[in-house]
Amino acid sequence: MKLPELNLPVIKLLIVKDWQLFQKQLALFVLGALVALCLLGMARGWSFYLGSLMLIIVMVSIACFAIANSLIVERKEQTLAFVMSLPVSPLDFYAAKLAGNLVTFLVPFVLVVLGTLTVIVFTALPNGLVIYSLLVFGHIWLAYCVSLSVAMAVESEGWNTFAMIASMVMINPFIMILAQIPAISEATSVDAIVWSVPAVLILSAQLLLGVAALAVSGWFHCRKTAFY
Amino acid sequence: MSDAELFLSGTDGSPMYQQIIDQITSRVMAGDWSAGDPLPSIRELASANQVSVITVKRAYLELERAGIIITRQGKGSFVAQSQDLPKLLMRADFERHFEALIGCAERLGMSAAELIEELQQRVRDAAPPPQEPPSGTRS
Amino acid sequence: MSTAFRVTGLCKRYPDFALQDINLALEEGQIMGLVGVNGAGKSTLLRLLTGLTAADGGQVEVLGQQMPGGQVAAKRDMGFASEDMRLYKSRSLRWHMDLVRAIYPAWDENYAAQLMRRFDLRADQILKGYSHGQRVKALLLLCLARRPRLLLLDEPTTGLDPVARVEVLEALADVLRDEARSVLFSSHNTHDIEQIADTIAFLHQGRLLGCSDRESFVDSWRRIVCRGAWRGDQAGLPQVVAARQTGSLLELKVRDYQDTLLATLKQQGLDIHSVDPMALEDIFITTVRAGAIHETA
Repeated sequence: MKLPELNLPVIKLLIVKDWQLFQKQLALFVLGALVALCLLGMARGWSFYLGSLMLIIVMVSIACFAIANSLIVERKEQTLAFVMSLPVSPLDFYAAKLAGNLVTFLVPFVLVVLGTLTVIVFTALPNGLVIYSLLVFGHIWLAYCVSLSVAMAVESEGWNTFAMIASMVMINPFIMILAQIPAISEATSVDAIVWSVPAVLILSAQLLLGVAALAVSGWFHCRKTAFY
Repeated sequence: MSDAELFLSGTDGSPMYQQIIDQITSRVMAGDWSAGDPLPSIRELASANQVSVITVKRAYLELERAGIIITRQGKGSFVAQSQDLPKLLMRADFERHFEALIGCAERLGMSAAELIEELQQRVRDAAPPPQEPPSGTRS
Repeated sequence: MSTAFRVTGLCKRYPDFALQDINLALEEGQIMGLVGVNGAGKSTLLRLLTGLTAADGGQVEVLGQQMPGGQVAAKRDMGFASEDMRLYKSRSLRWHMDLVRAIYPAWDENYAAQLMRRFDLRADQILKGYSHGQRVKALLLLCLARRPRLLLLDEPTTGLDPVARVEVLEALADVLRDEARSVLFSSHNTHDIEQIADTIAFLHQGRLLGCSDRESFVDSWRRIVCRGAWRGDQAGLPQVVAARQTGSLLELKVRDYQDTLLATLKQQGLDIHSVDPMALEDIFITTVRAGAIHETA
């Protein structure tokens, strides 16, 4: 399939626009993440649980707000019509939304992941937590990709909210399943980073499925000639 | 370009193009534009008065037909060079009123003879009595 | 003279509504007014012209581009503003102007400043506090300042107070100065169309009832008041669109008027009292009430 022409300058401007619109909220979330990391680093029982809970909430919020702002709110506020009156095709628009969303999500996401890993390695927390936390972050990545794909495809605010909540809430059963897998749960409390086969498999599956979800929705958008 | 602005009213009884014709005519008679002066371009006039181009086109066409302006291909429209312009304009006005009069008479069912008689009567009434010295002005 | 847009055999179907077999073209340098009641299909037609929607049948060509495939190229030279368009409430007009200026090289900053003064808009005010009229003017400013070759406006004066309406019409009239620029605006306010449009396209229930230059369109209608009785079975007079009888007075609304009609009416025993032209609003209402009468012009 030959690559359709993309209007790169306009796409870049749209990404910058989405970034600018999200900046204030992003700053707040990053602040929350820092607080959470401090709590984690204190390595006490209560602070660990509080910190890790806050961290998950912050990450889930960033994911949901990023999607909501650039897609759901735009539809509700009817600013989409304005964007579509600019010289963009549906494909440009999709590419800009995708890239913009990934940027606004991945920047804080990667920072938080790195921050967490740093905190784990350099404090009294057992290093085995590295694998565990990567798996949890991996789930958030997968949930984000699925929610984003749904939001791109479906206009209904109700279904979008459902997709976001459902995929994020699945983190609970996921964590429970992780606890059931001996190779993973044992490696967590150890002070060394030990990669087990299940861990590698799950992490790879999360990464690939996330990318696949985005690719599938991209395929559908490629074939759209008009916005409506 | 205030030269192109006219006082057009949407609520006035007469159609826009007629108002344009009337106002340009009065300005020519008043001397705002002298013989040979260029008129604003059709688009300029349309834009300055928020009317459509074809309305102005129609007005200019009628003005040309009445001999008040001349349109030169590619150069625009100009006030006609005729010396008799005021007379021409007044004649055009007269024709219009006269046609309207005949139309009304027809609808009233007046015969030609009745109309002529009515006309003569009114002219007699309107004429000043011969003894009065020519004081004051009569327009 | 080239065409700003041309639509042939256009069809678009929705569950409750369909645009059928539209044939319409706008010549460069003209202003076309699209008239129709709410739901007649004006917004749909505009969306098809901007390439936002794809047609089910027929061809749409705008500024030389086939739509919706060529929409990116067409939108470079086109401005579109519709009633349901909104700007980013948390941002200022200046932010939007910067965004548009970065995309369109033809952006004229001086003209934009001029429009801001005329429209009485402040560049740094957050748009959240804008009234409906200010919002419409802001959208128009963002379109006009980049001097597009084709302006497509969906109900630009609807809901505006009289002062704002005049400001918008003045700004639209400015576009007239350039004979390469064209405007299509839809409205159910016939006064605007009567004032500033060169051509009228009349849309009703998804069909194009007529498209002709405004002067001859309005000129072809008459309101005839006469004395006599109207016999509805006069099939020999298809031009009579509406007839109202009150006592001995009869009011006829007639299209495709010719002077010979008066003679015909007299023959039928009607006594002509007056013959007057009709305002566009009256023509519009009469046509809609008489039902969809197919007419090609």
